[in-house]
Amino acid sequence: MAVTKTSFARDPGLQSRMILTLFLLGALYVAFAAVLIGAGVKGPVILLICGGLALLQLTTSDKLALHAMGAREVTPQEAPELHAMIERLCIQADLPKPKIAVAQTNMPNAFALGRSQKSATVCATTGIMNMLSPAELEGVMAHELAHVKNRDVMIMTIASFFASVAAMILQFGFLFGGGGHGDDDDGPGMFAIIIMSLVVYVVSFVLMMALSRYREFVADRGAALVTGRPSALASALRKISSGMDRLPQQDLRVANELSAFFIASPKKVVAGIFATHPPMEQRIEKLMQYERQLQTGTLAAA
Amino acid sequence: MGFLDSIMGGKKKLKGPAPDRLFAMSTAYVTLGTSHGIQTKGAAGIVFQPLATADFESIAAEMEEILHGTGADTGTTITTTDDEHGYRWMVLHDDDIEDLVVGVNAVSDALAVGGYGDRVLAAVFAFGDSKGRPVYFIYNYKRGFWYPFVPAGKLQRDGERELQIKAIIDGELPIEAELERWFPLWGTPI
Repeated sequence: MAVTKTSFARDPGLQSRMILTLFLLGALYVAFAAVLIGAGVKGPVILLICGGLALLQLTTSDKLALHAMGAREVTPQEAPELHAMIERLCIQADLPKPKIAVAQTNMPNAFALGRSQKSATVCATTGIMNMLSPAELEGVMAHELAHVKNRDVMIMTIASFFASVAAMILQFGFLFGGGGHGDDDDGPGMFAIIIMSLVVYVVSFVLMMALSRYREFVADRGAALVTGRPSALASALRKISSGMDRLPQQDLRVANELSAFFIASPKKVVAGIFATHPPMEQRIEKLMQYERQLQTGTLAAA
Repeated sequence: MGFLDSIMGGKKKLKGPAPDRLFAMSTAYVTLGTSHGIQTKGAAGIVFQPLATADFESIAAEMEEILHGTGADTGTTITTTDDEHGYRWMVLHDDDIEDLVVGVNAVSDALAVGGYGDRVLAAVFAFGDSKGRPVYFIYNYKRGFWYPFVPAGKLQRDGERELQIKAIIDGELPIEAELERWFPLWGTPI
């Protein structure tokens, strides 16, 4: 689940797809665990299997995500400006140099991947590099590096794993508490277990998205501190969001699928609690606040 | 950084400048010159992010004036350029490397006193070896360590030579231990 909270731009199409993927991935865990419980597999074994799956996800998800985005690592010779920009930001942020990748797509976006600071990859699309001025792009890359610095990928992966574990614990409780009265009634049916754990899962999923939105603000602040140019990032955000509105990137067929899954239109209603990124206006407002603090000398690293 | 700290986004993301090991250069250059034929080119630069705030510009202007003033005594001359990445270079020229170290330190001090210590990226000292090839020593203020940077053609660096230099000067100059933090600075104005 490495991609969601690190993708930079608020792109409804891509974002909805990612949320759906995230959600289904997690639901799969829960349903899988429920089936195992129903089949009478012992608790520790279930935990071991699900833990193993989470570990696999943690180690392979960044490569998968890069591949899914059609991104390719670039050498300093291929993208000298991007490399030089990120190297300087790394000095400022006290980070080792991440791998740098570029995705060939017009969609303006950037994201960071990787479990640790040393294995991190930052990726920009050709769309965002063409759209933004160097100072704006610097703000965006500093935002991604702030995610790397804050270990956001790791934290969100752990958080999503905890959400699944929470659902599983509930399942155990449900089984042992409600099912202990002999065999004459059928006990909790498999269906009830699945429904119950899904409810827990949905709640923890919403909490996770809230955590993700909070971490976006933290990364914006980090970028403002590292570049000393909050307004450049704000301007980048404005360009990205207005570009998004003018050019819908969402494939019509995808839009239809999602509308069928969500009861209301994913763009309007679901955006509120399920969004991984806070609304652009709020982020820009915060950045303007940092700019004022910067101008008056009260923007501190603390 | 603790786990909780990282969950909460942390309070302190940027380290201030590390303990000042800049002055190690004022003695290390002797070894570089006498034993290894690596001589100063009489130039050093300090590179930082210029901020678009009113007091930053006045601090920068004041700083330049002070350096011009002290430069009259030591013979240090100073020029200012902005590079293509939006960073500002203050370049000092003086054949005496100790004067260069003092001058560079005066710049970073003035920025720190003005509350802009975090904006300093690095100090760069230009050297040349006996064959005339450029050798740069870069001082990372955030970490308080030096590392060599030997460009070899367009966007290429001579890693072997850099490691050689680390081997001969380690101990006299505090060298950055993590090689992945030996960030190049292409197109330096010195």
